[in-house]
Amino acid sequence: MVVSCFPTGTVNLTYPGQGVADLYNAGFQNIIFDINMCCSGNDLENFGKQRDVVSNGIKVLENPKKVCQYFEHFLQRVREKQICLPVAYAPYFMRNTKRTDLIGCWIHMVEECIHLCGKNGCQYLIVRPIFTGIESGKEWERNRDFYLYLADIAKVYHIMLLLENQCRDMGGHLVRGICAEGSEAAEWVDKLNAECGEERFGFCMDSGICNICGQNMYEMARILGKRLKMVILRDCDGHRESAMLPFTCAYQRQSQTDWLSLIRGLREIGFDGHLALNMIDTAAAFSPLLRPQLFTMAKSVADYFKWQIEIESNLRKYPNRVLFGAGNMCRNYMKCYGEKYPPLFTCDNNKALWETSFCGLEVKSPEALRELPADCAIFLCNIYYREIEQQLRDMGIKNPIMYFNDEYMPSFHFRKNKF
Amino acid sequence: MSIGVQTKNVVYDANPAEGFAMLKRAGFSCADFSLNAYLLNTSLYQFERNDFFSRSDTELEAFFKPHKDAAKAAGIWINQMHMPYPNYVPGAGRELNDYLWQVVAPKSMRICAYFGCRSIVMHGFKLAYHLGTEEAEWEQTAAFLDFLAPMAKEMGITICIENLYNGIGGHLVEGPCCNARKAVSRIDYFNDKYRAEVLGFCFDTGHANLIGLDFEAFLTTLDYRLKTLHIHDNDGIQDLHQIPYTFTKTRENTASTDWEGFINGLSRIRYDGVLSFETAPVLTAFPDEMKEEALRLIAKIGKYFEKEIKQ
Repeated sequence: MVVSCFPTGTVNLTYPGQGVADLYNAGFQNIIFDINMCCSGNDLENFGKQRDVVSNGIKVLENPKKVCQYFEHFLQRVREKQICLPVAYAPYFMRNTKRTDLIGCWIHMVEECIHLCGKNGCQYLIVRPIFTGIESGKEWERNRDFYLYLADIAKVYHIMLLLENQCRDMGGHLVRGICAEGSEAAEWVDKLNAECGEERFGFCMDSGICNICGQNMYEMARILGKRLKMVILRDCDGHRESAMLPFTCAYQRQSQTDWLSLIRGLREIGFDGHLALNMIDTAAAFSPLLRPQLFTMAKSVADYFKWQIEIESNLRKYPNRVLFGAGNMCRNYMKCYGEKYPPLFTCDNNKALWETSFCGLEVKSPEALRELPADCAIFLCNIYYREIEQQLRDMGIKNPIMYFNDEYMPSFHFRKNKF
Repeated sequence: MSIGVQTKNVVYDANPAEGFAMLKRAGFSCADFSLNAYLLNTSLYQFERNDFFSRSDTELEAFFKPHKDAAKAAGIWINQMHMPYPNYVPGAGRELNDYLWQVVAPKSMRICAYFGCRSIVMHGFKLAYHLGTEEAEWEQTAAFLDFLAPMAKEMGITICIENLYNGIGGHLVEGPCCNARKAVSRIDYFNDKYRAEVLGFCFDTGHANLIGLDFEAFLTTLDYRLKTLHIHDNDGIQDLHQIPYTFTKTRENTASTDWEGFINGLSRIRYDGVLSFETAPVLTAFPDEMKEEALRLIAKIGKYFEKEIKQ
């Protein structure tokens, strides 16, 4: 799984050095090539209107072939740091736009984005669908032609085009739009690929849009399956389309985004694509003085998601495993993974538990870990991870030590009264 | 097509005739009997219950006879009623959940039949968090429906499942029965199995708005399986049960709920059931002396919907 971050809002295209360095120093070796940095939805909205100052975005729209000029410094800095740009994001309209007059100009812009991506090694380009000025029920017909037209150009550069779940503006209320439903999204990707005769299209799931639409992301991920190539991680309050660092939008000590359903879904489908952090509002709101620390934290958050999603694949890596801990986390392990990845035994520091049985496992002293075969991993089922890891290393144990975690389990312990 | 509204906050046990007469004067010909008002969800979530449903069938019929007679006298047809909810309280003891299953649900069915009411709205179990998947959650609801379906068939009642929401950090997100395609296949399965229309759907506009569902697509997918409605409005954030066309969010002041999609959807499926409003909280917000006027406005909106749907 590749972890990346949006640079938008913190990297200045004229002076990109500091922003790119902040991301690099935080550990991001991949960043999203967000072409909206030079041509935003606001630029599109204002194109053709009388303005005292003409933005770069408007200049780009007047001559899309020059889009690469505005990224010269940025691309140079990225190359210097050996940062990859695996995914690009084509410019898009504001959700409430009525600028049907700009569709042709915008399509031309997207074409240029494909060329730009091709020349800079991007594997994927996210292209939002045309939505404005289309009669209800005609969305597929209109976008089918549009996407197939782009596919011919993308093919030259071996770029996969990613569709993305959309919301639509209903008098200021954001509701489910094109490809918001997993079944519709899967159908669109399949039909486009069938027409192309190859896998030219995939899907990018934006967790922020899912959250605004109150969707069950487990269901969405499960329906999309292998079509899902990228997931955008962003937090919001469920009503406004902001892009905040995950876990920061909380109320009454609870996150307002259903991260549980997202992690459950991605874990179940064995997601191994691109995980992109979009926290452009959080980053822009922080002082530039604090951004290095913020990006370090952001990288840890992204890595945490990756680790949670990969928990099951980590269990699968080892032919044998034992657990450390004979409490609730061990119980949850046994409930969800005990049958599929059975441990040899568990151990605990509590002497009173030694030689007893817990959830069908023999509980042993940590001393028993000295006898493990070399390929056996120890999965810590106790939140005092670092302390226990140190204890085991101090004992001279050389086996792999892995952390297990039950915050986002496929299901939870539940005592049913009936059924 | 008829126009209906909840009985809650209008029809009181002390003098049901007065409430039904007011509904008729305001322009309604149908009512959604608020049976859930006799065993509140707020109490159940506190693991508390009263003994209202412990009465015998004869006692319950005697209790509701004045309501039934008053509705008839006023010319109001009880077309739908709401079963108390939840039907299962996670974390509550066996006694409470057994009581909800074995006592409250079957008695609700019998009260429904006593009123000559053909539809009862039921909430699906909210267990996806615990069980992990919506499918596993539905299995539990399906087991409950299997218990009630023979009764429904015998009594000629359609149990209507409703699109619901869950809360996470104060944010309301989709809950049971928010996928129209799944609802269709499940309804068809039950009706084939019991060879009767034992299961249908109640589309709740307010709940749908909270999670940004596409009204038109949802209603069109449901088609004839749509049996009842809960029409109400909100700000897209909280379940406010207000009058349609109340909420706007921009300076253009256009409705922030997709009423056009609602009308188009019902029109496309040629819905000819009751346009039933679930707007009881409106009546406590307005001063008492304006209650009838508020009801009149709701009924007029119903008439407007009817006109637009038929066009």
